[in-house]
Amino acid sequence: MFKYVNQPIEKIDGLALVTGEEKYTDDFSFNNMLYVSVLHSGYAYAKIIDIDDSEARTMHGVVEILSYKNVNRILYTTAGQGYPEPSPYDTLLFGKTMRFVGDNVCAVAAESKEIADEALKKIKVTYKELKPILNLEKSEGSSIIIHKDDGAFPKIPVFYDAKKNIASKVEANVGDFDSAFKKSSRKIELDFYCSYGSHCAIEPHASVSYLDVRGRLVIISTTQVPFHVRRIVSHVAEIPVSKIRVIKPRLGGGFGGKQEILLEPIVALMTWRTKRPAKLVYSRREVFKSTRCRHEYQTKVSVGYEADGKINALHLDALENAGGYGSHALTVLANAGSKTLPLLNKIENLRFTGMGVYTNLPVGGAYRGYGATESYPAYAQAIDMVCEDCGLDIVEYYKKWCIKSGETSAIFQALGEGKEGVAMTIGSTSLVECLDEGAKLSDWYEKRKLYGPNSDFNKGKRLKRGIGMVAMMQGSAIPEIDMASAYIKMNDDGSFNLNVGATDLGTGSDTVLAQIASEVLDTPVESFIVYSSDTDFTPFDTGAYASSTTYLSGQAVRKCVEEIKKQILKVGAEMLSLSVDEVELNDSRVTAKENIKEEVSFADICQYSLYQKNQFQIQATASHISPKSPPPFAVHFIEIEVDTFTGIIKVLNYTATVDCGTPINPVTAEGQVEGAIVNGLSYALFENYYFSPHGKMLNDTFGKYGVYTAFDIPPMKVKLIKSYEETGPYGAKSISEININGALPGIANAFYNATGKRLHSGPFAPEYVLKVLSEK
Amino acid sequence: MLHQNLEWFFPHKVEEAVKLIEQQGVILHGGGTRILKTSPKSIKGLVDVGRLNLNYIHHADNHFSIGSASTYADIIRYSLKTNKLLILAKALSEAASTPLRNRITIGGSLKDFPIWSSLYAPLLALNAQIEIAEKHEKILSLEEYLDSGMIKTKHLIKRIIVDDIPNIIGGVKRFSLIRFEYPLFTIAVVLQVKQKTVSEARIFITGVKGRHKRCKRAEHFLIDKELNDETIQQAEKHFAPKFVSDYKYSAEYKEHTAKVFFTDLLHELKGTLK
Amino acid sequence: MKFPFKVNNKSKDLELLPNETLLHVLRNNDFTEVKCGCNEGECGSCTVLLDGKPVNSCQVLAMSVQEKEITTVKGIGTLYTPHFLQKSFVEAGADQCGFCSPGMVLASYSLLKENPKPTRKEILTALDGNLCRCTGYVKIVDAVEMTAQKLQTNNLEME
Repeated sequence: MFKYVNQPIEKIDGLALVTGEEKYTDDFSFNNMLYVSVLHSGYAYAKIIDIDDSEARTMHGVVEILSYKNVNRILYTTAGQGYPEPSPYDTLLFGKTMRFVGDNVCAVAAESKEIADEALKKIKVTYKELKPILNLEKSEGSSIIIHKDDGAFPKIPVFYDAKKNIASKVEANVGDFDSAFKKSSRKIELDFYCSYGSHCAIEPHASVSYLDVRGRLVIISTTQVPFHVRRIVSHVAEIPVSKIRVIKPRLGGGFGGKQEILLEPIVALMTWRTKRPAKLVYSRREVFKSTRCRHEYQTKVSVGYEADGKINALHLDALENAGGYGSHALTVLANAGSKTLPLLNKIENLRFTGMGVYTNLPVGGAYRGYGATESYPAYAQAIDMVCEDCGLDIVEYYKKWCIKSGETSAIFQALGEGKEGVAMTIGSTSLVECLDEGAKLSDWYEKRKLYGPNSDFNKGKRLKRGIGMVAMMQGSAIPEIDMASAYIKMNDDGSFNLNVGATDLGTGSDTVLAQIASEVLDTPVESFIVYSSDTDFTPFDTGAYASSTTYLSGQAVRKCVEEIKKQILKVGAEMLSLSVDEVELNDSRVTAKENIKEEVSFADICQYSLYQKNQFQIQATASHISPKSPPPFAVHFIEIEVDTFTGIIKVLNYTATVDCGTPINPVTAEGQVEGAIVNGLSYALFENYYFSPHGKMLNDTFGKYGVYTAFDIPPMKVKLIKSYEETGPYGAKSISEININGALPGIANAFYNATGKRLHSGPFAPEYVLKVLSEK
Repeated sequence: MLHQNLEWFFPHKVEEAVKLIEQQGVILHGGGTRILKTSPKSIKGLVDVGRLNLNYIHHADNHFSIGSASTYADIIRYSLKTNKLLILAKALSEAASTPLRNRITIGGSLKDFPIWSSLYAPLLALNAQIEIAEKHEKILSLEEYLDSGMIKTKHLIKRIIVDDIPNIIGGVKRFSLIRFEYPLFTIAVVLQVKQKTVSEARIFITGVKGRHKRCKRAEHFLIDKELNDETIQQAEKHFAPKFVSDYKYSAEYKEHTAKVFFTDLLHELKGTLK
Repeated sequence: MKFPFKVNNKSKDLELLPNETLLHVLRNNDFTEVKCGCNEGECGSCTVLLDGKPVNSCQVLAMSVQEKEITTVKGIGTLYTPHFLQKSFVEAGADQCGFCSPGMVLASYSLLKENPKPTRKEILTALDGNLCRCTGYVKIVDAVEMTAQKLQTNNLEME
């Protein structure tokens, strides 16, 4: 049993958040600060012939203007990934070619935001408009080439063919799909389209920079990846890493949208050149248009199987729209396969093929779910189709065929992130329990009996009901790539500074990491002063992405605190004149094993070690990489009602059972599940990017884009079903991403249960649904 | 962005306000939500209506008087308290959001008729009148206000007058998938029913081609008929508003769904008869 | 130009331009607890109370509210003297990134002050102007219900 771990400890920043004390990037202002505005391209594809900023430069209050004319041409990727990045170097901070509506033209720094905005209007840009590609299926091999002779190149040795507009390509084969498929007695194929989507973190992207007293550049930014920001800003702005400090204050949500280096190099250059603080805050419209989004996907699943339901062969094919640049184009694609195909690991012949293509539409990036959101709708509907065809209960089917403890999938090794993957055996899983418990909580069997396209309940009715389910896996960190580290020192009163590079973007990871530290030292969470993240003061961490913080950074913290524990026991033993073997930790004290009354407090231990004898600072640092990426599992059961007159789908009940290993903090873990479900639901039912015929996003406000309010949420049941992951801190895996993936396939399967029809395109907006219903 | 040399006026009398807005570039300011949406630089002055004592809702002589500075929330609150103005309150309670409903004034909403308005359809169906402050004060029906082009002129609306007619039934339905979304259309139906037979009908839809439409054919069809399933089924054929396609929905879909919503609404009204 | 305002029960002269929104004026005068998420009246991060009622401060021109009581989240309770509603938010886990929290707290406060025993639907309606992308709203609604419960059990009133 745990004392601090697996407890619903209140978030350590909670009260400061709800009283408005916490500071976010835009809450920092400095004397003499410049305000920056960026001019974005209104064309999907155009060459800049010239920028005439002479009038703007003479405007009162305009201080600096950056464009291709005065910024060196340095290729990079905006993707905040480990180095060398698996995303191609195809982006310029300010280039001469505009590749999507929203691309950077130039930036102005002025004495006020109003002047900066006004100056943008005075800048005369002469464009040569080019014919764009606005359809992902028309990109490969088109005569229109999006990155033509611009020097774009992959940083790692992977397939890349800009001449054919191919930003990324992935293929993995296990067994022999073709012949197994051919030999199968039954076959199905299903395609599915996933739309663009925006993260909609309520805090827009913002960066503030200034020079410190020694002339170093300090950047405060809305980032999930402060260390990658430091490295990439150094590269793009040509400032040595030693001269850059990146601070992540409180973050107003990220979901992958802030894993991108977009604003930081601009403010960095402004400050570096003018020696003045500079601030850039994107408007909501700029966030929609100019930052990154969920990639558009066209997927296809082919399954060959037998009458008893045994799948012989499964092929998942994915066509990804990278947009104008290839940020995350390769890795999201690889994850579309690697986070789905191992789930039913007993399928002997598996094939994954994927291609990411450039278009002149907004740029995809990291978004919670990261490929899995895009591939599960086809994959899980195909499994549902197999079960329907063979007359099998899908819950039992998953129980029979799903990956179990001690088992592996060849996909783990076959599909990595830009290189071969890492072979892995599943340790922890409660997936079978999740299936059983979810079926119970959702009244699965009763409702399956009641509903169905030909049931009395639905037949001839305008309002038809159905229930569908989906089982899923994700990962926990990128194995043998992601690295996390922690530093801890002890203070006079028995408190500890816990400095971590891990980036709390609102998830509560600062609290979760403190809980892990508390558990090791048997001292309350309040004893830890958690600081994250600051490239000057916290050790390296790849950042908050890939569901890595609890699992990876948590283990770094645990290792680090174990080291502290040794030091404390040693000093305690010395103070008690006992050997280390004769003492133990006990509620913020070191006590003799034999006699609990022989004790020294943590405060006494620290004071002794700092001031009295054999002085030294009790401190430690530890790093962690993982040889595995243990998957969390989740099962979602969704009950819907379809209005066959209007095509409106209403979600009646949503049940989720989730295996995240040990939930370090059950309340924040549940919060991750609920938040992801609601985001997934609104993406499934209406979130989309609508474009003009010229590639301009039309619904670039919250009101037009549409985001669920509290009023729109269906009744939800969430249950965490524990397992114990030996490689994670106190048995923990991850939880943040997986639950965004369930809504599309779950609703699609429920829709089939209600109507007997398959949905092939998200979002399931009413007009599309009505069209599907009217099809013969 | 509004101009930073914008001048503010805080008159205490309607006449003063009317005079002030005669100046070029000077307009009325109610809640400010619409002004901030468009923020034209051409605005030189804003005349705040906050001190004109136009924030009231009275009931007298069989009608309601709603001061034009009343917010959506004021009307909803009044309706909850008195159980009156139910059709209007329902429409307004679904519009925008709680914080915006606390700010949007009825006068501002009338003057500036956005295509997604939730206010116009119910008021038109209720045959509301508005009182305009001019040199010669005048009261005119909301329909006249729209049809005559009066809406496009500069003026100050003092109040909205809604008759309190007994024996009417009515409802309003709007199409939006989520709570905070601009509705595709809003349909309002107000019927006078005597001994199960419809004696009068007013049916309006907004969000259509030309912004609003009175559905006269459906009204005529319903009059003198008993409101039963068959009537409703037939009525649908006489309800054919025309829409324009937008990036999200085709005109055909809107037309189809408007018909469905219209019959749903009639069925709901039939249900209230019992 | 400076104009007199009443913010969080204190009179204060705020520096402003006549075209500025209440949101900008408040943030420019160090009330950074009022957040800006969209500047178009669509997210509710900038919610403040005007005479006790929530409004989007980005949709209010500051000049028009000089005589009104303006309340930011710090006017309800501070880090040092938190309101029990704020404590409920933390207790329920309604605080993830916290960017929507000031607005959510104020919308909830205004509701409970007017209606200490809200139905679920009344809670959902009261929060319909405040977007949150982190929590899925479940724990935010829990926090409001928890506070209503505290009010009843302890016979308290919202202050």
